[in-house]
Amino acid sequence: MKFAVVVFPGSNCDHDAYHAVKHVLGQEAAFVWHKDTSLGNADAVILPGGFAYGDYLRTGAIARFSPVMAAVKAFAAQGGPVIGICNGFQVLLEAGLLPGAMLRNNSLQFRCQFVHTRIEHVDTPFTSAGQVGQVLKLPIAHGEGNYFADSATVDALERNRQVIFRYVTAGGDATSQANPNGSVRNIAGLCSEGRNVVGLMPHPERACESALGSADGLVILESIVQSVGAGGGVPLGHEAPSGSSLHV
Amino acid sequence: MRVRVFVTLKPSVFDPQGTTVAEALHTLGYGAVNGVRQGKYFELDVDAASAEQARAVATGAADQLLANPVIESYRIEVDGAGTAS
Repeated sequence: MKFAVVVFPGSNCDHDAYHAVKHVLGQEAAFVWHKDTSLGNADAVILPGGFAYGDYLRTGAIARFSPVMAAVKAFAAQGGPVIGICNGFQVLLEAGLLPGAMLRNNSLQFRCQFVHTRIEHVDTPFTSAGQVGQVLKLPIAHGEGNYFADSATVDALERNRQVIFRYVTAGGDATSQANPNGSVRNIAGLCSEGRNVVGLMPHPERACESALGSADGLVILESIVQSVGAGGGVPLGHEAPSGSSLHV
Repeated sequence: MRVRVFVTLKPSVFDPQGTTVAEALHTLGYGAVNGVRQGKYFELDVDAASAEQARAVATGAADQLLANPVIESYRIEVDGAGTAS
């Protein structure tokens, strides 16, 4: 299958995503410049981390108007899997593809560290290869990851089972100590009502090889490959390392 | 025409920066400062025939880009005109 990795001016995890998809998963990957109006024949779209437009005004606030975002919205509307990682998540929020907004971390510090993230639901193209309650050790690197939405919106997210990832302890408990940025109800990631758009602050693409400290992020990328393969008739990759998703 | 747009976090949204600034002020002896809310300030130079027209342009800009309605509200002032939000 083919992943499109969108590149905004200021993206800096685009090559991390490309590497994980192409060299670790063995799938096709192509960069798509933000001024492009087409995603090519991509089966899945990654909005990578970074600092699009220097985070000017608000994170993701300018990037949402990039020409490529019309194509991303159309792709998402057709049910195509779209994943926004860190800054990509912030872009999805500003673009209205996911509800809510990001505030400055409650510590006011830029947080660059490993966190533990719990999979809440597996009926999405991004978690289907995982298990409910599975704890993933993933890195974060952000100053504005304090997810906020009013309580009615968050209640609706919980009711619709759209909270897909939560910050937890290594043992899987969603405590305030395990919350690195003050996100409401420890939310680390969520999906759209259609479940095909997901955003998360942790970086699964930077945790796909044990040499990098964790390979737990593979389960997310492998889920996409399996989902597209199952639904779209796209052949599964043959080069994905075996057993790579079993890091509970 | 000069238009000023003030963007602030909604009262229901926690403002960690404002809180930290307030704490710093207290440390400096400004005990009279009960609270601080930090925001953004924009000056727009707008081609407009009237204050109403300038306000309409600024309102569109604020709705679409300058403020995020999920967390922020805004107030607009037009030079030579009154204040309204």
